[in-house]
Amino acid sequence: MNQPSPHTIPPVSLQARHVSKSFSSGPIHHTVLHDLTLDIRAGELTLISGPSGCGKSTLLAILSGLQRPDQGQVVALGEDLTLLNTRALERFRLLHTGFVFQGFNLFPALNALEQVELPLSYLGLPPGDARRRAIASLEEVGLGPRMGLRPSELSGGEKQRVAIARALAKEPGLLFADEPTSALDAANGQIIIDILHRIARTHGTTVLCVSHDPRLVGHADRVLAMEDGRILSDRVSSPISTPTSGIEEPSA
Amino acid sequence: MVALARKTLIYEWRRFLPAILAVGFAGLLQLLQAALVLGIFGSASVYITGSSADLWAGYPGTQSVNLGRSIDNGVEMRLRMDPAVTAVEPFHWVDADWRGPNDTGGVSVFVSGINTRADGMLFAHALPPSLRQRLNEPDAVIVDRADLDSLGVSVGDSAVINGHRVRVVGVSNGLRALGGVNVVASLTTAAELDTDPTNANRMTYFVARLRHPANAREVAERLRGNHAFGSYDVWTARDFARRSQLYWIFDTGAGAGVLFLAGIVFLVGAVITSQTLVAAVIGSVREYATLNALGVGVGALRKVVMEQAFWVGALGLVGSTVMGAIALAFARSRSVPVALGPGVALVCIMLSMALAIVSGLAAMRSLRRADPATLLR
Repeated sequence: MNQPSPHTIPPVSLQARHVSKSFSSGPIHHTVLHDLTLDIRAGELTLISGPSGCGKSTLLAILSGLQRPDQGQVVALGEDLTLLNTRALERFRLLHTGFVFQGFNLFPALNALEQVELPLSYLGLPPGDARRRAIASLEEVGLGPRMGLRPSELSGGEKQRVAIARALAKEPGLLFADEPTSALDAANGQIIIDILHRIARTHGTTVLCVSHDPRLVGHADRVLAMEDGRILSDRVSSPISTPTSGIEEPSA
Repeated sequence: MVALARKTLIYEWRRFLPAILAVGFAGLLQLLQAALVLGIFGSASVYITGSSADLWAGYPGTQSVNLGRSIDNGVEMRLRMDPAVTAVEPFHWVDADWRGPNDTGGVSVFVSGINTRADGMLFAHALPPSLRQRLNEPDAVIVDRADLDSLGVSVGDSAVINGHRVRVVGVSNGLRALGGVNVVASLTTAAELDTDPTNANRMTYFVARLRHPANAREVAERLRGNHAFGSYDVWTARDFARRSQLYWIFDTGAGAGVLFLAGIVFLVGAVITSQTLVAAVIGSVREYATLNALGVGVGALRKVVMEQAFWVGALGLVGSTVMGAIALAFARSRSVPVALGPGVALVCIMLSMALAIVSGLAAMRSLRRADPATLLR
């Protein structure tokens, strides 16, 4: 019922308008993003791929409100992030965004359930609700039986699933993943991709993933290829669920 | 609420141990030096604390018990007239010069002339009745066991005080004086040793026992207003003891020394503690940055750091309290002069907690490195 039909176009939930970003170290001035405009849709797993240093991580940081663009505008879930101050931006991220990083960044002292519960407690949820959500989230990533274990007792793939559960439990509208599979072997990488894909489909979440991992390309609903701060290609591919093949189109 | 601060402290206790030890030892040092200073300078008021009197009447403005000047004998009558007073006793203080039988040169001694009766108030806690009894012999004196060597005598020996022959009839314990040697004698003997002719019909102090010691402050207030017998002042034993101790602590510069050392201990403790807490924050900086990316505010992260600082302080204080109690018990068993009241102990404990809090504030600054954007590079 709440799954988007393959034939209706899902709504745009994240927009970048003429976004530019540059860094300078000493006399060297380096432009990372060149006047970039982009629409990302809810309910899809969008992959930004490209070589190291192409600016994809910076793009993710700007789209997720972790960094501000030098120029341009970012509209997420109808809100212009460039107009928000630091505190309001934190509040926006608390309510609407989830993050999964390459390093799992789990607190060594906490077990899986506590890792997931921790951000929920800052949402102001009653403890009982936070616990229920955390358990449901861990079960969704298949870690129900292992939720009492600490990071040192979990494999790399399991740690990344805890990190996903931590992001997912907040029920965010936007889920950002930076190289989520780079530190994992093939089997675990596959599990992570499937989970991210499923989250987009079942929760209607906008999942934006940045990776140079070629294994991910076949599983994304849409693949944006980046190089030198520009988007080179924008390919919509749904090889399993839709009969129409990917459309190649040049970027704006 | 997930108790991140406490769980991390328990799980990574090795990381926090140096900070806990720093707070613990800083607290221990503060406690011990306070106890030592109070113990050593507490002996300045041994005449008061070793006696059972509730009120002391002496020359107005006397800053320390050893600096007393004589007051009129009529003050005794004035004290006795008050219905709250049940007993009054004179205390004759003589600054004198001691020459022992052996070659010790001149030694400056403080002669305390006291009532030798078994129910006498002066040195009631320091001298047992049998010892007081022996002072009734002519020219008998008692010296402290710790001073036998410096006086060059043993029990039964004779010596000369202010040109007058005396005989050591016993030794006391815990009557060490500051800046000299205590010699206890009867009032009669002391009067013979006092060579100052202006002290005739005058006495250094009069001490009084009250029917209700709890009212000492009011009675002292009532008695000091009267000038019928020349100028004198009346203090409660507690006030006078305190005043004598404070005089010695500050007159000798020991107070400034204690404060200086306390400052050094605080500084060293704070450096170690804050460095340890900074290292702990930096060790978890990626996790903190992740929480911040997920929208947990910097304020909430700071609270975690401050909570850790608080627990480090609390654990350190438990350690220093236990170690301090053991050290003080040991010192007492070796007759090292130590004294520590609850007020001073509380100040030391609060100082150590302040150390932990200041360190936490310093460590909080390193949370700036928890910038989630850095996780994406």
